[in-house]
Amino acid sequence: MLRLIQFAFLLAALLFAARVADAAELRVPTDAIAGAEVSIPTTGSGDATFYLFGPGAAIKRSVKLGEDIRLTGNDLQFSGRYTAALSNGESGVFFVAPSKPADVAFLARPSRVPASTRQVISGTAFVFDSNHNLVTQPTAVDFNLGVSQGRPETRTVNTKDGVAYVILDSGRQAGAAQFTASLNDDNVRRVVQVTASDPCNLRMRAQPAKNGILVETDPIRDCAGNPVPDGTIVTFTEVDNSGRSTVDARIKKGVAQAQLPQSDSAQLSVAAGVVVGNEIHWSGR
Amino acid sequence: MTRVIPFVAFLLLYVSAFGAEPVSVQLNSASVAPREMEDNTEKAVLRDYTRAWQSLATALSGNNSSALANDFIGQAQDELQQRVSEQQKTGLHTRYIDHGHNLQAVFYSQDGSAMQLRDTARLEVQLLDGDKVIHSDQITQNYLVVMTTGENRWRVRVLQPLPTK
Repeated sequence: MLRLIQFAFLLAALLFAARVADAAELRVPTDAIAGAEVSIPTTGSGDATFYLFGPGAAIKRSVKLGEDIRLTGNDLQFSGRYTAALSNGESGVFFVAPSKPADVAFLARPSRVPASTRQVISGTAFVFDSNHNLVTQPTAVDFNLGVSQGRPETRTVNTKDGVAYVILDSGRQAGAAQFTASLNDDNVRRVVQVTASDPCNLRMRAQPAKNGILVETDPIRDCAGNPVPDGTIVTFTEVDNSGRSTVDARIKKGVAQAQLPQSDSAQLSVAAGVVVGNEIHWSGR
Repeated sequence: MTRVIPFVAFLLLYVSAFGAEPVSVQLNSASVAPREMEDNTEKAVLRDYTRAWQSLATALSGNNSSALANDFIGQAQDELQQRVSEQQKTGLHTRYIDHGHNLQAVFYSQDGSAMQLRDTARLEVQLLDGDKVIHSDQITQNYLVVMTTGENRWRVRVLQPLPTK
């Protein structure tokens, strides 16, 4: 009886040892990088089915236990959480980190702004690796805004979770401003059209015309000397004993002109937007 | 009545099979910068992010990438479409049982066209080969999310899982 029990224990021990020897195990990587090849060592013996689930990946293949499972850069091109599993139930989870910064996506708004305006141009840069994963490590992005012959405004901003942004003033000079976001050798350029701001020193003169009073402005510019664009509305007003007359005229070739009704005594004024120009007391000549 | 029961059963089956269960999403925008988030934008983001996760679950469970087009764009859409395509080739599926998301808005662009959020999602993820469950996990997973506007809705442009610290 004793021998039978000893034999049973021995058999159980042998079976256990054999199972331990055959047990398959996956050793998942701890420092995988997106787009880089990795090997997953296995233990045990025999054939098994290997599975890999992750961002952009759903792999099923036959493997030999005891050999390394090779995963290519294509298998692991997306950053994130991957689950590796064997058909015998063994599994492991690992993370694939983004690789080094390689690409920048740049949003610049708005596309048209008035000159000399504070906090009006915003730029947002998203930093990606070569597989378009958002790079979460802080990365310096250079923003540069300037018009030709003007002094550019430059800022360097570190990304936070892959995003860097700036909010800038528009320059004094009108024109097509080049707004760039740069990451190493990668420059992304946007154009922001800077237009003249509100008119400055709006002045008009008046002279008799055939059937009324001809009023005409001097060339209309903003305070930085930029010509206010043609098409901008200028309002001329005449007030006399008979009442008020108003004419809206568009700037054409830098000046605005209009014909007001005939009057022997009137107060003439000019305005563009919120800017009021000079006044003229008209006495018939 | 005999017609209603199969219809309800079909609905339950559909919901169970395609993971289109209601998803609970909460959004905290108290620390967003540089622009504050308007109430209407919060509501829209909640609505669209919720729908995105329902689409994701439907697509990966049923291996049908057409569910993704309305809610994902760019990198996130490419990655999910590739996953669906790989699953179709290999006969694999992924089933998400969604236990809710806590979203924190961290960046909202000055012009209102893009935002970045952090999501802490509580999920049960089942990986299947045909009908056989290969692996099942209850996880709390952090995601980095970028959403952009277009065609009257917010779409998920980046949905990047982050390592657990």
